[in-house]
Amino acid sequence: MDALSIHPFIDSVHDFFSSMLGCEVQLKETRTLGSGAISSDIIGVIGLSGTAQGVVAVRLPEKTALAVIGRMVGAEFTQVDSSIIDGVGELVNIVAGSAKGRLKGHSISVCLPTVVKGDIYRLSNLHDALWLEVCFESSLGEFALIVTLKATPPIQQEVVREGANSR
Amino acid sequence: MKALIVDDSQIMRRIIVSVLKKAGVNDIAEVSNGQEALDALAQDKEIALVLLDWNMPVMTGIETLKHIRTTNKQLPIVMVTTESEKEKVVEAIKAGANDYMLKPFNPQDVLDKLQKFLEQAKK
Repeated sequence: MDALSIHPFIDSVHDFFSSMLGCEVQLKETRTLGSGAISSDIIGVIGLSGTAQGVVAVRLPEKTALAVIGRMVGAEFTQVDSSIIDGVGELVNIVAGSAKGRLKGHSISVCLPTVVKGDIYRLSNLHDALWLEVCFESSLGEFALIVTLKATPPIQQEVVREGANSR
Repeated sequence: MKALIVDDSQIMRRIIVSVLKKAGVNDIAEVSNGQEALDALAQDKEIALVLLDWNMPVMTGIETLKHIRTTNKQLPIVMVTTESEKEKVVEAIKAGANDYMLKPFNPQDVLDKLQKFLEQAKK
């Protein structure tokens, strides 16, 4: 992916926090993510397919996840339960779904989200795709957006289109 | 009146329930996919408004909308989705959606948008 492709996703994060949480976020840092990155946070992951394919993830420390999902529903959470897991999945679903509509010149579908919570895991690169990690801070805590996006080769696009038409 | 929320996210359903209750709608059913929505509508004729997500397992929102419209042209159905592309909006409206709301949303905006359907249902 090129650096410009990250902007629709950053805009979607701003929109989500502003409209659903009444909270502004500040961008701290953008960096490439190596395949050896290790994290113990909660991470919502969603796949993208179509004329470009990739992955969008939102990584939240547990404290941030509790605060963000609590603000979403107007409740206080003290531990990670099914509501937090579900909420992180919905967060990444909204960020990815909203961003794909802003990606000009592409026709992209989002998959259903997955949420991972574990002590240690690694995000591994798909092929040679570049992963960008954008770190944010907010009054609800720090979190990061992770995106990899790569244009689908034309021959695969034809298959995708045929698949889409058959639905 | 009774409303049906169709969304695979329990958190999103919880947010929409909260919005509906603020609007005075306390009779609310919730399901997590399109097939469950069709089953609920077949069993419960009191449902007067459907809030329908697009991306769901088992049966998507657009498939559900098309199924509902084969037998019921009158029931107000509002899509509540992240699908913002023009062609998706057009597809939903052509399939019979009465309105279209984009996620993320401000809950107050949802409330404002639902008012016309709630007022229609009271008449």
